[in-house]
Amino acid sequence: MISTQDKIKNIMSIVFEVPQEHITETSSKDTLENWDSLRHLNLIMALEEEFDITIPDEEVDNLINLRLIELIIHDLKN
Amino acid sequence: MENLKYSEILQQNRAMSQNDNGATYKVTILANITTNSIKELLEYQLRINNLNPIVAFGNFDTIVQDSMNCKDSNLVIIFYDMLTIVNGLSDFFESLPDDFFITLKNKIFSEIDILFDNLKDCPSVIFNSFSSTAFISSFVFKNNLDLFVTDLNKYITEKTQNNVSFLSLDKIIAQLGINQAFDFRLFHSSKAPYTIAFLKKYVLAIEPIILRNTGKLKKALVFDCDNTLWKGIIGEQNADTLEMSNRTKDGSIFKRIQQLAVYLSRQGVIIGICSKNNESDIAEIFANHSDCILKDEHIIIKKINWDDKATNLRSIAKELNIGLDSIVFVDDSSFEINLIKEQLPEIVYLQVPNTLTEYPNSLLKLVYSYFNITINKDDIQKTEIYKQQFLRENVRNNYKSIDEYLASLGIVVSIFRNEKSQIARISQLTQKTNQFNLTTKRFTENQIATIIESSIHQVFSASITDKFGDNGLTLICILQTDNSNKSTAIIDTLLMSCRIIGRNIEFAFMDFLIQKLLEQNFKTIYAEYIPTNKNSQVESFYDNLGFTVLEKTKSVTKYSLNLLDYNFKKIDYITTEF
Repeated sequence: MISTQDKIKNIMSIVFEVPQEHITETSSKDTLENWDSLRHLNLIMALEEEFDITIPDEEVDNLINLRLIELIIHDLKN
Repeated sequence: MENLKYSEILQQNRAMSQNDNGATYKVTILANITTNSIKELLEYQLRINNLNPIVAFGNFDTIVQDSMNCKDSNLVIIFYDMLTIVNGLSDFFESLPDDFFITLKNKIFSEIDILFDNLKDCPSVIFNSFSSTAFISSFVFKNNLDLFVTDLNKYITEKTQNNVSFLSLDKIIAQLGINQAFDFRLFHSSKAPYTIAFLKKYVLAIEPIILRNTGKLKKALVFDCDNTLWKGIIGEQNADTLEMSNRTKDGSIFKRIQQLAVYLSRQGVIIGICSKNNESDIAEIFANHSDCILKDEHIIIKKINWDDKATNLRSIAKELNIGLDSIVFVDDSSFEINLIKEQLPEIVYLQVPNTLTEYPNSLLKLVYSYFNITINKDDIQKTEIYKQQFLRENVRNNYKSIDEYLASLGIVVSIFRNEKSQIARISQLTQKTNQFNLTTKRFTENQIATIIESSIHQVFSASITDKFGDNGLTLICILQTDNSNKSTAIIDTLLMSCRIIGRNIEFAFMDFLIQKLLEQNFKTIYAEYIPTNKNSQVESFYDNLGFTVLEKTKSVTKYSLNLLDYNFKKIDYITTEF
């Protein structure tokens, strides 16, 4: 089974157009050139669809790197 | 597309983009909301149709201004959304005075006039209907918002311009439901109200327009007979027991299919028959069966024999001198459908659904996607009458140019200097603004606070209002001076939120700034343009204002200007307050 982290990595790699292996736990807006506010929207929508969740308003701005995204999704799934 | 996840569409779109070889098709989207997520969905659907897409966006909320620059677009899509109109008002919609509604309505009418006029040479324009569905309103009582939206839509429908398609947003919203169509969370944070589910439906809804414009429409609709045009099998039962009338439940469904076929034949669609039967049996039905409303006169070509249907469809195409890809084929048999799928993949097909009640709608969907259906003469006449009536009643102003239009807005620029109460917003603007930002320097609240306190900086900020609402604090300029040389100043930061671009506000501000500096006995001003991926639109800003280039490298262009040489733009329709 594909781990949650790999699924997120896959989505990030698709949305930001970078190879998966370039994405680390601390990849962020500062390190990924394509991570701008518009792609951030796309990321949210792709994640919500993939994991069948709704990311609450107050968490939207906290999705700033892979590790935090994983944590937030983990919390939402449980 | 409907069955694919968003991430799958992104991925497949990217894969297809590696071998774009179709004709280039440029779509420009003008919007007063954020719709950028539609880009890949639209690209995907265009690539599926073998087109090589270019999808471009205008600036945020500058629909009218950007409509001047769409000359090379094949299609312009306009999202002029009520959400942003309502959001920009100062009071609750229902409590606004009547005369305000009239003014607001006239403003929108004028904008639509200019817009349609600017786009009149564009091959195709899609304008979304105005919708109040997103707003919770009373189900029963009249309310201003619903009435307002009705008036706007009436204006658009009566305005008809033949390159403009008017798309019903409400129908798309209805297919999904409000909760699935809107995401207010993203509207309030990013002005992006529509969900991916909505945008997918939207792209599918406009697909027929694109197919029509690119010559990808179908010409012929070919039907099988038994269990496709009537219920029953002619070779196995008496012709009287075939069902195609309202006398039986299933018969009424087939009657609708026949009605549609007759209608299409009158619209110029070639109706054909391709059936495994004895020719004489079928001929007898079309000629003499009292329930059969589809007659010989409606049918252009018939292939009724025992050959395989791939062969028959090939000869239909040949005899009509049309491509196989111009044919839509309808049959109830999985065997026949699979044969066509394999042997003639160019042909679009419909298999009669197992749930018969879905049949008419499935066929209609296909028809609206692939055939050119024009409204009938009566409708055209009716529209003409409405139009004349409207012209008589029409007493409002017509703005002739963008300048007149801007002048009508009553723009007021209120400028502040070193205003501590604005520190948070100033910092935020430096963080978020990318397009109209000459140096793209980011500042935290702390840094802004320090700069405001410092004796060698002046922080200017401006908020913009017009007679329709308040755009808030949207322009920042940080000036750096030198205590040892009181005659020069440097523009460290100059930025403007994209929501006020296109109104010449930047020029009014520069007039103000230079005037202020002259009053303070400055002689020379220095400035820089630092290019980023996103700020190319201000590349020539200082050049256009008459600044001299001191140095130009890849990473920066440095300018200076002798203040006495400045040419004041004197934009008389913008009021500046300090």
